[in-house]
Amino acid sequence: MKTYDVIVVGGGPGGYVAAIKASQLGSKVALIEGDRIGGVCLNYGCIPTKTLLRSAKLYQDLMISESFGIDIENLSDVKINWDNLMKRKDTVVNKIVGGVEQLVKYNKIDVFKGYGHATDAHTVVVGEETLSAKNLILATGSSVLIPSIPGIDDAVTAGYVIDSTGAIKLPKQPNSITILGGGVIAIEFATLFNSLGTKVTILQRSDTILKNLDADVRTTIQRHLTDTGVEIVTNSSISRVDNGTVHYTHEGKELSVTSDIILASLGRTPNLKGFEPLGIKVDKRGVVVDEHMQTNVKGVYAIGDMCGKMMLAHVASAEGIVAAEAIHGDKTSINYHKVPSCIYSFPEVGVIGYSEEAAIEAGYDVGTSMFPLSANGKAVAEGETTGFVKIVHDKKYGEVIGVHIVASHATDMIAEAAVSMELEGTIYDIAKTVHPHPTLSEIVMEAAHGAVDKPIHIIKR
Amino acid sequence: MFHVKFADIGEGIHEGVLLKLFFNEGDSVKEGDSLFTLETDKVNAEIPSPATGTLKRNKFKVGAKVHVGDVIVIVDDGEPGIRSNMEEGEVISEDETSGQADNSSQKDASAQPNSQLTPDADVALESVVEKGSTAVVGEIEISDAVIPSSGEGSAVSEPSRATTKVLATPVARKMAKDLGVDISTVKGTGPQGRVMKADIQAAADTKAPSDGAKAPSADTSNSSVGVSSGQGGAGHAYPKTTVPELDRSERVPMTMLRKTIAANMSLSKFTIPHTAVMDEADVTELVTFRGEAKALATSEGVKLTYLAFFIKAVIAGLKTYKGLNASIDETAEEIVYKHFYNIGIAVDTPDGLMVPVIKDADRMSIFELAAHIEDLSTRARNKTLKLDELSGGTFTITNYGAVGASFGVPVIKHPEAGILGVGAIVKKPVVVDDEIVIRSILPLSLSFDHRIIDGADAGRFVGHVKKLLENPHFLLMN
Repeated sequence: MKTYDVIVVGGGPGGYVAAIKASQLGSKVALIEGDRIGGVCLNYGCIPTKTLLRSAKLYQDLMISESFGIDIENLSDVKINWDNLMKRKDTVVNKIVGGVEQLVKYNKIDVFKGYGHATDAHTVVVGEETLSAKNLILATGSSVLIPSIPGIDDAVTAGYVIDSTGAIKLPKQPNSITILGGGVIAIEFATLFNSLGTKVTILQRSDTILKNLDADVRTTIQRHLTDTGVEIVTNSSISRVDNGTVHYTHEGKELSVTSDIILASLGRTPNLKGFEPLGIKVDKRGVVVDEHMQTNVKGVYAIGDMCGKMMLAHVASAEGIVAAEAIHGDKTSINYHKVPSCIYSFPEVGVIGYSEEAAIEAGYDVGTSMFPLSANGKAVAEGETTGFVKIVHDKKYGEVIGVHIVASHATDMIAEAAVSMELEGTIYDIAKTVHPHPTLSEIVMEAAHGAVDKPIHIIKR
Repeated sequence: MFHVKFADIGEGIHEGVLLKLFFNEGDSVKEGDSLFTLETDKVNAEIPSPATGTLKRNKFKVGAKVHVGDVIVIVDDGEPGIRSNMEEGEVISEDETSGQADNSSQKDASAQPNSQLTPDADVALESVVEKGSTAVVGEIEISDAVIPSSGEGSAVSEPSRATTKVLATPVARKMAKDLGVDISTVKGTGPQGRVMKADIQAAADTKAPSDGAKAPSADTSNSSVGVSSGQGGAGHAYPKTTVPELDRSERVPMTMLRKTIAANMSLSKFTIPHTAVMDEADVTELVTFRGEAKALATSEGVKLTYLAFFIKAVIAGLKTYKGLNASIDETAEEIVYKHFYNIGIAVDTPDGLMVPVIKDADRMSIFELAAHIEDLSTRARNKTLKLDELSGGTFTITNYGAVGASFGVPVIKHPEAGILGVGAIVKKPVVVDDEIVIRSILPLSLSFDHRIIDGADAGRFVGHVKKLLENPHFLLMN
């Protein structure tokens, strides 16, 4: 039996960050990971998709290079080399995973390969090893949820239906793909495959894609996807999957769509196996924790996707730090209304805080201001003018309570809003902050000016 | 660029009149040179330049009404950025927006690279605040150097408190302003102790009942021992009165001095359990003695009043009954006994009551006291007192005998522990050795803080003072 101060189960962005933080705070830490360090994020999620999206973007740019004054004699000579695409993705992933492994090693964390299971709140068995510790941080993540639809299991076996993990390692580019679901992951893959020239159909059960986002964001993205050739079917009810064909009803009609590949993106479910003996309280979203990430069992913490709060890598990391700090006596917490989330579509989406609808529902005296990309110099110069910045504020003190950005670099721009909101900033502060020119960030300032009174660079009639 | 503002000099002063400008635009000024004189309800303050340079602009004309926070004079000291003699970065930032009218300085500021501007302004601010405070109180530092822990009073303690820059979020700041919470008294729970809006809400919730009583904080912070007056000083609510429109009445806005008096009186009465002791002293001998000494005094150029003798007697009493020269530190739950004797004298002025303070009165002779009394009361009436002369008292004497009254129940000057009211000396028939004789009788009324001392000691104090006043030779030997 090996004894530690903290055992972290799961080496994803929640687990490895928690392990490093705990080690930095002076604990002896064991990290258990069945696959490669980095979890879904580094190996199958965030990083590989962003790598592929970069190639897709480059391909898109080449396709329209003429409008930027660069002629390519024969556009059909520009070809996607799928194998090399995948190779680059693997190189990038390996490089980053290797980096994290170095970090873990440098922080003197003992890594155990294998899937751990707990026998009690202080003991975890992994393979031949039995580890014990005062505190346990569970960070086992989540798995793709494949709902029970008639025929879907056979289609999975036959290789027609894949999940996001399968989607990043397809042996060749599909000519067509049907995406089941209209969430963030679905939209990113739709963007990716559509940009590479694959015919994309999205089947969404509710009446809109990206359901929980601000209405202005989802209509902009939906319209943009449709304009660039993605077929979006909302209010659809899938009845049956038959190899590559999805049968569904839409507005009372029986319809079907056939494609090379079907991507099931219908949600994720927490990984809870192996920890049943602990008696941890679980609700329908995942493990129930207090604001310091502790479960109902003293000394057992749970972070990341398995809690099901916000299934995002950066949330898992932040929660990992909260848990590690709690173990070391520093009680911190996360305000989930101030956590940004991103969609790597073209254009990107970066959002934080309340949508206009949610803010009204929450009872704020809501003010909003929107500024379009089309009135921004840098956006026009780059030829990427689809999008806007929308600021939702509480009129009482002008506090910024939500920011919604659709822009080519929205995911990098949203951090400004996050800092402002973390510091309880107001529209006045953002408007007063001098922003560099020419940048897309000016739009945030302009939107704030609009919230205070009037923006400078637009004519409002 | 230095913005010399009408800084908050405490004492409830919010506005004033620009009485005099010493320099013209373009003149060179040295640090410490007087830039302008402000006339306020209470004092005339001469504001020295916090920097050496060229006078860039006089923003107001002589005779103009100015408010706390107004930039009165701009001095170009060749330094980048805009600095000012008022505390806190927030004030500066406000200035930048309001200062947009002032294009020249705006340009100067923006011409500097951003990276340099911010830290510079900050560093400057720290040092400036110090200068600002000396500026406002003028000679205070020198005069108060002798009395270590004595009351620099509001003048100094106010700005120095503000020197500590409070970390707070923009929303928290606005909310604090809105809810009347002194942000510097709030403990922040955010990163690095940053005050968040939840902290302000919590502070407002706990303080809610004392909202009304909090108003006079400006003046009450002159507690020479730092009695916390901002919070918890007066935790009592009293309803605001609205008087309906009445026939045969007129409405006059309260002057700033009136408001200050009102606030101070309320604070004192709501905080201090006043108790009164009264007695009569047979001062026949004192009357004779003063009559003899008066001529001598006049030849020395001194107008010898009874008040000088009263002060002498009171100080002797205070030395014996220390509880009357003390304050309660409510926060620490300690009684602070002061080993210095700064006697406030209530002066009736056309605008209202003023209480100038004779610092270290125990070190003065009767003549010196008399000279001080005359000087202070004259200057109180022409509003030429300096701020420090209005603060830092440890005990107060009020002479309503001057208007013929005999007994009264004076209100203690918070946070002091007592106030002695002296009535008019009147010849009365009294019984001496079983015979009715005519003697000069002085009525004495002492209000004291019953939290600090009890009635018996207060009575003994009055007895002690009485004995000294009845025997002037004994008093002078003391």
